[in-house]
This record gives sequence, structure tokens and C-alpha cells, in this order.
Amino acid sequence: MPPRSIAPTLLGLIAPTQRLALVGLAKNTGKTETLAAILRELAERDTPVGVTSIGRDGEAHDVIDARIEKPRIVLERGSLVASTDALVRASGLTHERLARTGMRTPLGEVVIARLAERGAVEVAGPSAAEELREVSDAMIGFGAEIVLIDGSIDRRAASSPAVVDGLVMATGAVLSEEIEAVVAATKDAVDLVRLPAVDGAPASASTDGSEEIMLGRSLVLGAEPAEIAALLREHPSASTFNVEGALSERFLEGLLTARSERAGRELRIVVGDPTKVFLTRRGPDWYRRQGLAIEVLRMIRLQAITVNPVAPQSHRFESKRLRELIEAAIADVPVIDVLDPDYLALAK
Amino acid sequence: MQPKQSGAPGREVDLERVKPYADHQNDGIVQFSFTLPVPYGLAARKAAQELARKMGFEHPEVVHYQGLTEGYTYFVMFGECTETVDYATLSDEGFEIEYMSEDEIEAFASERIGRPIVIVGAATGTDTHSVGIDAMLNLKGFHGHHGLEGYRAFETHNLGSQVSNSVLVARAIELDADAILVSQTVTQQNLHINNLTELVEIVEAEGQRRRMILTCGGPRVSNELAKELGYDAGFSKGTYPYHVASFIVRELAARTAAA
Repeated sequence: MPPRSIAPTLLGLIAPTQRLALVGLAKNTGKTETLAAILRELAERDTPVGVTSIGRDGEAHDVIDARIEKPRIVLERGSLVASTDALVRASGLTHERLARTGMRTPLGEVVIARLAERGAVEVAGPSAAEELREVSDAMIGFGAEIVLIDGSIDRRAASSPAVVDGLVMATGAVLSEEIEAVVAATKDAVDLVRLPAVDGAPASASTDGSEEIMLGRSLVLGAEPAEIAALLREHPSASTFNVEGALSERFLEGLLTARSERAGRELRIVVGDPTKVFLTRRGPDWYRRQGLAIEVLRMIRLQAITVNPVAPQSHRFESKRLRELIEAAIADVPVIDVLDPDYLALAK
Repeated sequence: MQPKQSGAPGREVDLERVKPYADHQNDGIVQFSFTLPVPYGLAARKAAQELARKMGFEHPEVVHYQGLTEGYTYFVMFGECTETVDYATLSDEGFEIEYMSEDEIEAFASERIGRPIVIVGAATGTDTHSVGIDAMLNLKGFHGHHGLEGYRAFETHNLGSQVSNSVLVARAIELDADAILVSQTVTQQNLHINNLTELVEIVEAEGQRRRMILTCGGPRVSNELAKELGYDAGFSKGTYPYHVASFIVRELAARTAAA
């Protein structure tokens, strides 16, 4: 059966992006395989690349389940890498250390190096999002045309628009034994990543009874129901709440409860970007239906979804079926299995 | 750099090729034990020896075996390990922490930091076990090492157990904390991973990640896991309060110097 449209390669999809984050919805969703696929495609075009990771990648065995073997990260000669000094040296590859960063991790200080030969490297970059941006810009300064930032577990911080220009999300069979549940969890995660941008003028920071209220940190994080109710009473005409930092599920639930006592007025919650929203039980759509619209100041560009149809030590789905179900549930994002023979033939 | 040789004079150890030690250098002798679900007897003994050989041990010996309950036999084995490990490279990886005694920590902190170091700790999420965080923070401590509360260098705030991640972060911001110490005892279905990940993501979302030292502890926590999760250090079984204290004062001093 022919593909439903002309299937693009990953590189084609991410092409104009200078800094790209790879985020998995869980461990073993194939994030590092996706990274390896992009690296292969870049190598064929001799594109200079820089690689780093918010966690640790390219290690031989999984740190949580040692039975799982992990893919290695193979970099071409001339590639840049931001990893710990010890891991770069342990690769045994000839390299030139371009910069020390002063960024400390539990595995040592992060350095930026250029490889003088092709080979496998373990990558453990800085742990903080802000530092990832700094090492990415440094690698671009040293000549990388594109920087790839590998995520860790299901951490989303690296996908913030403050760090990268684009995102590739990895999902897979590991999320559930039921294929429908994998699709639903992927859809929820995509809805969160693609929260709509706030329309109109940027939010102002007024704290009186006008339309827009800037919420205090401790109120949003602490989310005491009585305080939330008091807030709504104090600002009966407020329709927009601006949140500076993290927006928790607890706060949204408190808002719903307090609001129902006030004849359920429609509210808009504005956050910096999708990485600051923490939802585990219900997706943004559910809150929208309850009259709580979550919007962002800066959006994330989701450029592709990759799937791993295999759950290590457990079960597997048919790759094509999983891809088709996800494509049917999520509009406008190409879905790719980088290890599928059809894709491998295409990417050649 | 670590020296490539160690050991008593005349008995140098090659740190790039370290083997287990029993009676003499490089004999590779390992003592280990396991249980097989088979009845006690000579066939069981033979099976244990055969299995040890398959594990890669040379000259495996059963030095003790006994029936545990009907149909189960327990073995203590000796075997010769033929593999070696490169300790020199591992010890070079930079995550070795130089521990200090309590007095040294107090002196170091007063000289290099010169103000109380604010530490907020909790067992987060649904975890009801406060034993880990109490052992590290409370005056009583454990095994004769009192907790960080007992140091002049620290101002500690133990929020207890079942604390939500957002509440912990709110408190840490309010107290202008230098470090967050989070404990995770329950590890069923990798619950600790989800909890620890959410905490670091909230700290990021609040723009506090570079401001605060983030450390985690628990029976299944390691430095490798800490790196993967985005923490500054991970403390496992066998950690005493002075280990955590050494790390925090050194890390804070290094950050203060860099700023």
C-alpha cells in the first residue's frame, strides 16, 4: 500500500531548525534511535552538527533497567559535542577540547569538544535548561549548523522555546499494552505541547480589579483552596490570570472548585510556554470544556512524532497500525518509525 | 589525576585492571550466594557448581549448602573471576566527592560561605516514608551521625512526607533556599522517577534551577540516575548526613566562586 502522502524524511521536516530538542514521553520510546537517524541523515549531507543531552545518552545499558541495551551515539569526524570531560575522554576518540563551561554535573564538568575522528560518544550535557541554551549557542559559534539536544526520561524542559526552535517528540508501545491508550496518551502530550498562543496584546501585570491579574508564585504553587476562592472574590471582573512560573493541576482544580461557587465564569490562564504546565490526570481540552482556557505567550514548534512500536522486555505493536492511529488522532504532524524498513529505504 | 598504582609497598595494584582480592593480589576469588528451587542433595550441589561455571567463574566450589525449606536449597560458593575492571578511568570521571568531618564542614562553611545555608527537605508525592529525610536532616540523625539540623552551618526545614512537589518548591522559594533535599523510598513501578522528574521540571519552570542545588536520595538513587534526572547529586544506601553536608558546602562554595 502506498503512503498516504509523499513521506518526508526527518531531516526534511526539521531542516530550517537551528536548535532541536528530542523529547520522549517515557523512557524507551526510541528518542536516542531518532537522534541516531537524524545524525545519519545529516552525515550523508556533510552537515556540521553539535550534540548535547540534558540527561545521559549513548551509555551501553539503561540506568533504571540494566537489561535494556541502548543505542550508541555515533558522531562523524568534525562533529561538536557538549558532554562531560571524562565521558569525552572515555570515548577513546581523538578530539580537540574547545571550551570548558564551568557547568558541573554529577558526572563531572561539561566541556565542548570537536571530534577529530568518527566514533561513538556518551553524551551527558548540562542539567539546567538555561545552560543547554548556552552550550547550544556556543556550538553554533564553533560552526555547528544544527544542534540536537537529547532529552531525558520524559523531561520537557529542553523543549522550551527559551532553549530550542523546534521539537521532535518520541512515543511508543512502552506507554501501555493497549494501543488505544498509547494513542490517547500521545494525543494528550501533543495537546499540551501545542497549547494555543494568547491572542491580542501581551498580558499586563496589573494587580487591581481590572481584567488581567498577575498571580503570585506562592499562590499558584501552594494552591490552597481558600486562597484561590478569596482571589476570585477580590477580582470579580477578572477574566485572565497570568502565571509567571509553573501551573499545577492542583491550582487548576482549586480554581474550578472556587469558580463553581461564583456561577462558573469563563477564565483564561496565561503561562510563559507549554513546559510550565503540569497536567497528569486531564488534558488541556478537558479544562477548556470546563471553561478554563490555558494559553501561552510562546509556542513550541512540534515538527515530527517518532514511534517505537516495541516495548522492551514486554510487548510490541504493528508499526504501521500505530502510526496510522496516531496520525488519525493528531492533525498536521508527520509520524515516523525510524527503524521501519520503508523509512530506512526512503532515508537512503 | 589518580595514581595508576596503589596498595601496600611491594604489592602494587594495577588500577586499570583491578580484580577481586581474597588471599593474594589478583587471585580473583569471589564469594557469593544464591538459592535454587530444587531439593537439597548431591544433584543440587552439582547444579549450583554448573550454574556458577555458566556465570563465568573458573573453578567454582560449593563451600556450604543447606536445605531452606522443602524443595529449596541455599548455596555459598567460591569462584574465580577472570574479568578485570578499569578503576583508574572510573575514579577520573569527576563525581568522586571528597568527604569532610563535621568539624571540617563547619570550618569550611564559615570560611567560604559565612552565613547559614538554607536547606529544605521532604519526601514528596505519595511517599509516606520520612525515615530517609529525617535521618539526613533531623538532629538525631542515625548511626551516631547527627543530621544537618545539628550543624551551625545549616538552617534546615524538614517538611516531612507526602509533600506535593509544587508545595516543596513554593516553600524553597519563600525561604530562599540554597538547596533542596528530596527523598524517595517507594520505587514501585518507578514512581520515584516520575516524582523526581516532576520536581526538577517545576524548579525549571519557576526559573530557579541554577539558583538552587538539587539533591535526591533513596535506596534506588545513584549519581548516574541523578544526572539523568537533572539533579546535582544522588545519594544511595550507606549515605550519612556528613556526606550530604560535604557535597552541599563544596558545591555552594564552587558556585559562589564562579558567580
